[in-house]
Amino acid sequence: MLVMRRREGESILIGDDIEIQILHAGPSRIKIGITAPKCVPVTAKEVKLVRQQNVAAAQTRSVAALRAMLDQLSARPGGEK
Amino acid sequence: MLNQPCMTTAQTTTLLRCETRYFGPVEYDDGSVLVFPDGVPAFEEEKRFIAIHQPINEPLIFLQSLSRPDVCFVTLPVLAACAGYQTRIAPEDLDALGLETREQPVIGRDVLCLAVLCVEENAPPTANLLAPIVVNLRTRCGRQVIQTDSRYSHQENLPVAEAACS
Repeated sequence: MLVMRRREGESILIGDDIEIQILHAGPSRIKIGITAPKCVPVTAKEVKLVRQQNVAAAQTRSVAALRAMLDQLSARPGGEK
Repeated sequence: MLNQPCMTTAQTTTLLRCETRYFGPVEYDDGSVLVFPDGVPAFEEEKRFIAIHQPINEPLIFLQSLSRPDVCFVTLPVLAACAGYQTRIAPEDLDALGLETREQPVIGRDVLCLAVLCVEENAPPTANLLAPIVVNLRTRCGRQVIQTDSRYSHQENLPVAEAACS
């Protein structure tokens, strides 16, 4: 991973037409501005992770696998140990 | 079927029928439908779900899409997945859900808050506590809320019996 140090107001260029500017740096979060062509999707990484997780969640599971999981869950009231 | 006394429009009960992924045909009350105006990530077209819970499968809640029988999320109330769970729902998401934006909703009083489970063969089940499914109990409007400021992961391990014994 390339690591660069930047201050507020400074930018990073990726290729010719993507610019990432540091707008504000606070103690625990930073605010960045992104300029990119419309064809480049820009999303928070969490969005992609959640999409992938939903696809996996919707595909998996036989009821048998579910039951096995249920038996393991300590959260289940009266669940078998 | 979820039987929270929330919907005021369903004066006359109309029973409808849908196919489900796990339970064959199921009858449901039109007033119990949960509406997700934006769908859920990766399933943006699925806007109407019913919540199925059965005593035998406590405490699981199955979120079944009404338009696609093959789409059913197995979920767990977040507090069952993680005792002491705290939401950090952004004001924009609270607004989209029709909730008060100045404070976090109370789970169980204001909202139903569910973690989507991922159960794969030969792997421990995980719960998505980063992005819970939040349903406004008053309006039955739902949304999967991606909490960017959360301390939870999209793949949290569930408490298992071994851990509970220690």
